Amino acid sequence: MSILHAENLFSYYGKSPILQDVSFSLKAGEFLSVLGRNGVGKTTLLKTIMGLTDRCEGRLEFDGADISGRSTPERARLGIGYIPQGREIIPRFTVEENIIMGCYARTDGKREIPDYLFEMFPILREFLTRRGGDLSGGQQQQLAIARALAMDPKILILDEPTEGIQPNIVRQIEDAIVHLNRERGLAVILVEQNIPFARKASDRFVVLDKGAVAMAGHKDELTDAVVEKHMTF
Amino acid sequence: MDVLFNQLFSGLSMASILLVIALGLAIIYGSMGVINLAHGEFVMLGAYATWAMQTYFGFSILVALPFVFLAVALVGWIIELVIVRRLYRRPLDTILATWGIGIILQQAVRLGIGAESRFVKGPGILDGNVVIGNVVMSNYRIFVILFSIGVLAATWALMTKTEFGMKLRAVIQNRGISECYGIEASRVYSLTFAYGAGLAGIAGALITPLYSTIPTMGTSLVVDAFLVVIVGGLGSLIGAAAAAVMIGEVTAVFSMVMNDTLGRIAVLGCIILLIRFRPRGLFPETVRR
Repeated sequence: MSILHAENLFSYYGKSPILQDVSFSLKAGEFLSVLGRNGVGKTTLLKTIMGLTDRCEGRLEFDGADISGRSTPERARLGIGYIPQGREIIPRFTVEENIIMGCYARTDGKREIPDYLFEMFPILREFLTRRGGDLSGGQQQQLAIARALAMDPKILILDEPTEGIQPNIVRQIEDAIVHLNRERGLAVILVEQNIPFARKASDRFVVLDKGAVAMAGHKDELTDAVVEKHMTF
Repeated sequence: MDVLFNQLFSGLSMASILLVIALGLAIIYGSMGVINLAHGEFVMLGAYATWAMQTYFGFSILVALPFVFLAVALVGWIIELVIVRRLYRRPLDTILATWGIGIILQQAVRLGIGAESRFVKGPGILDGNVVIGNVVMSNYRIFVILFSIGVLAATWALMTKTEFGMKLRAVIQNRGISECYGIEASRVYSLTFAYGAGLAGIAGALITPLYSTIPTMGTSLVVDAFLVVIVGGLGSLIGAAAAAVMIGEVTAVFSMVMNDTLGRIAVLGCIILLIRFRPRGLFPETVRR
């Protein structure tokens, strides 16, 4: 059964359609990479899933229910954990408050930080009382992932989680994402420019070009020729 | 000397009412960037609600306070829902719209209840004075000061200790991402606006025995409350408290040594000077937005 299903999706900023006729489907526990050059609509696709664009047409189903008419907070409470580009942690909240904030999307009213988050990212336990804005980029990214996990999501959607982050932390973050998918069975949609990681981590991939799906397939089909055609400038 | 102390004391009681009005203004501006020009009329509604409850149900001010808070909060909630909500992306238009709302409220009260001053009796238990030497402090004014400190503490606790406060602070800093984590930003805004309006209502109720209850009473009060917010620095509760005390006391002292009009001019002169050297107020926010 598919956990996320998009059919003939159009998404708009103002009057301009950024996504045009996008269709794809993701099974529970699957890992999908969304690839493509800059400005082809990858971020917009994730924003459309969260309901953050001005308008959207077409079908968008999550966990069997049509969510295209739902508000952003409602979608979050259904269990979509969104980790945006640029991380967007709350600078004046402490690390602890930032993670607790993730719990606000829970429907069971729990406000506890799951222990496994600190096993995955020990630095967060150490910095629990520091302000989010004082953390380095890599630490903020770990915090953003922890915040999304605190809501106990059914799916994680990540927008370039390793962009602009120091190499030693990139590895940790990549391992964490793979661990969440393989060991914890979380479905993942990953927007990524880092092709080797996308190849290693994902089951399937979608390539966007000019707001439309240019190609989709199993990870073995992500050949160098495909990368050359759709992702190099 | 005694005259000075008496004057300082009455200045302090006015300052504490000013603080409650300014808190509401500051919270509404600080959270949604709306300069609420109808805030003075919320104070006026609070005063009239108190008068109505006393006249028709025989409630003393103390009993009426929670009802007044709820009633004016409800009015604020409706106004947010019907009008202000549609204008969040057009801050200048909210000024005009809330000004219009203020005029409508003021005229509605004038038409419905009348333009003449209404009398509200102070609460019986708080009759009498505390006399220390030659300084006479009325029990009611002492109550007003303590109650306002309580309101300040409650507001601080609401903002920093409760889940609602944390959601509000999250929305203020980043509305988009807050919504991505299940926070209903529009609901948070409605409740915040209602809370600010309710505070104005409380101030209106508190002020009734000290001030004449007339349809235009809000206008002069809200001007002072704006001064408090500007001097205190936006978004700072402690700044608002300090500024309220300063403005209340300076007004009291100047009106004593000069007269009311000259005192007023002197206060405004002081504020202009202060803003010249501290343009963002006494306690500005230190973090970039």
